Amino acid sequence: MLTAILSKYKKPKKVPEGNVSAHHPLTNFAYLLGTVLIVSLLILWTLGLFAQWVATQISPETESQIGEMLLPMLLSEEEAIVDDKRIQYLEGLLASLPQSDESIRLPLTLHLVDSEVINAAISVGGHVFIHTALLKEVESENELAFILGHELGHFQAYDPVKSLGRSLVFIVGFMAVGFGTSETGGIPDIVSLTGNMTQLSYSRTQEEDADLYGLYRIINRYGHGGQSLDFFKRLDEASREQGKLRLRLSQYFSSHPLSKDRINYLKEVAEEKGWDMEGQLTPLPKWIACPNMEFCDLDEEEGEKGKE
Amino acid sequence: MDILLQIIIPLVLLILGYLSGSYLEKRHYQSIRERERKMLHVPLVTFGAKQTLPKAHEAQLFVGTVVISIDYFKKISAMLRNLVGGRIKVYESLLDRGRREALLRMKEDAMAWGATQVLNVRLETATIGGRSGGSTDPGSVEVIAYGTGIR
Repeated sequence: MLTAILSKYKKPKKVPEGNVSAHHPLTNFAYLLGTVLIVSLLILWTLGLFAQWVATQISPETESQIGEMLLPMLLSEEEAIVDDKRIQYLEGLLASLPQSDESIRLPLTLHLVDSEVINAAISVGGHVFIHTALLKEVESENELAFILGHELGHFQAYDPVKSLGRSLVFIVGFMAVGFGTSETGGIPDIVSLTGNMTQLSYSRTQEEDADLYGLYRIINRYGHGGQSLDFFKRLDEASREQGKLRLRLSQYFSSHPLSKDRINYLKEVAEEKGWDMEGQLTPLPKWIACPNMEFCDLDEEEGEKGKE
Repeated sequence: MDILLQIIIPLVLLILGYLSGSYLEKRHYQSIRERERKMLHVPLVTFGAKQTLPKAHEAQLFVGTVVISIDYFKKISAMLRNLVGGRIKVYESLLDRGRREALLRMKEDAMAWGATQVLNVRLETATIGGRSGGSTDPGSVEVIAYGTGIR
């Protein structure tokens, strides 16, 4: 009886435990995730830099071939506008920008794209894309010339090839690890995402350099930098307002992140170098927003802009 | 939106996996310890080929099997570990639970039959429900324990 009661209160016999590592799963996980992210980003970053360097070493002929290959991906047949006087005008404007002693490694091809999205871009092989929506929004030739100059600046700095080289590394890198494929879920997606974000656009320095290049050509061509930045100022303001413009602008901002800082930076440099930032406005041709620059019925407000 | 989903879905799964996984693991360990304590008096003994086996009236084979699934959190942890190498600590507790549960199930059967000892116990493991395509990624782990109960 007594033993029965005692045994009830006896300390239970100790059960031998397995020798499982003592750790908190979350700290373990955080450590792992941190290591993997940091190391993979470091590797990709280094490889990206290397690819950028390699990309600048390819010959203009190869670049032109790559550009031809990529063209169908960037521009669909329905969107492309051919045989339009505006193309000649834009090509003329573009050709007037570089300095006389400046060599452009490839002949530039201008593509007019029928699109409601405001955008301008330059791709590998010297293909310049101008969206028709952009032509509706610009208010002076100075503005348009600055946009073209900016894109030309990217081309001269080998930015499109560099970006291509970098994205190739990311794509090949992720494929090698088996990431980014649909059958893996979870963290690998986050890893590939960080990769995607870094290659979404040119770096800030690249943008600033292209801006400077553009502005310098504008000064050369028009003798002053006045009005050329107005388009960007308007974009900046419009981006903060709600409206239909905002939606159409989103694309431009995703590829050309523009902030007040960049405009201010340009102004600072201009002041330093003594560039004149005030001057006469050079009007755009009439009906730049219309096919063949012939009169057409635009929306009221856009029609106003088209006139001058 | 697409990008957002790519982050949010795995994150939700990760949190769900961690919460439910660690809750279930904790509960399982509790039950394992309790049952092990109760069955401590029946020993599991191993004899070599030239050793004489204890005398017994009857002997019977007893098998205990258990399949335990990994959770999403463990899976991702292990996947990350696969990249850098080292001990996959999250799997250690998984296998530990598997082995002890399998032994317990075998022992429970043996004790219900009236065994005084269980001789020459062996353990086997197998993975079940891994991804197809020759991946070594386990979906869940099966542990089988078998031994000869005598009375």
